[in-house]
Amino acid sequence: MNDLDWEQDEAEFEKNAAAMRELTIPPAAFAAVRQRVLSEIQEKKRRTLWWTWLSVAAAACIALLSVAYVPQNPAAPMPVIAKKDPPKIEWTPKPVRHASSGRLLARARPAQKTEPLAVVKMLTDDPNVIIIWLVDQKGDSL
Amino acid sequence: MADFRLQAETAGQSAGLLERSKATGDLEAFDQLMRLHEKQVLGTALRLLGNLEDAQDAAQEAFLRLYKSLNRLPDIQEIKPWLYRVTVNVCNDMHRSRRRRAWEPLSGPDPVSSQPDPESAWFGQERGRLVEMALKTLPEKERAAVVLRDMQGLSTREVAEILGSSEVTVRSQISVARGKLKKFTVRYLRKRL
Repeated sequence: MNDLDWEQDEAEFEKNAAAMRELTIPPAAFAAVRQRVLSEIQEKKRRTLWWTWLSVAAAACIALLSVAYVPQNPAAPMPVIAKKDPPKIEWTPKPVRHASSGRLLARARPAQKTEPLAVVKMLTDDPNVIIIWLVDQKGDSL
Repeated sequence: MADFRLQAETAGQSAGLLERSKATGDLEAFDQLMRLHEKQVLGTALRLLGNLEDAQDAAQEAFLRLYKSLNRLPDIQEIKPWLYRVTVNVCNDMHRSRRRRAWEPLSGPDPVSSQPDPESAWFGQERGRLVEMALKTLPEKERAAVVLRDMQGLSTREVAEILGSSEVTVRSQISVARGKLKKFTVRYLRKRL
């Protein structure tokens, strides 16, 4: 593209842009937009206000209903419930086995009596070897 | 009403309007704010959508979003780029949903040319209509870049900020878009003549 083409393009485009710029919008179109915007905002405000009132009214209704259903005389006597004694249960304890019973006695071991032991010390030919013999009273060796 | 506009056009009063709208939700103040920005919003929407009815819907949506977001805008200076951004987004959404439906011919009252001579007015309208058709063939980002840069007269830096891309990208998008527009108009005129 040479310089002349470029200049022609620029001029052409400038004309097109100018044509677009020159297209003026009728004033009624602006007014219509403004009107629509303002009425939309007012409508939204109205709706918000309406919902606020509705929620306040609903809260008030709930509060009133809850007050209406609360018992008016809180000091009313409580219903009397007849007392009943629980049925008596016959209970006989099982005989306890005492330690003196035969089986338990059989298990018990008598205390061992310690009898004195006799010690027999025997010397051998070797002085390093000593035989020690422990004997009880009966003569049995241990 | 004209007095209102003149008064509101001073920056100090704009800030005052914003504060009034923010603090009390004053609808009269918001109405004046809309008057300040209606050309910007509706003009951009019309160029992006090519249809006055759709453009009005888009402008309405953009202003409603502005009203909802008033408390998040700390400064009057932020309204203009913010509104451009929202308008472009709303138009893109509408364009997508419209593309999902069947293509619809242009409808609604035609914008009026400001030229006094009927012949040049007719040529101007025809040229405008042709550009309008050509714009519809562009992808979203390229269309937005061309409209904001060439038709709304914003700087490349402002366009880049609004579209959330770099200046280099915007320049490239505009260049590509201009090429496509030229091709379209040449093909269209060849067919017609």
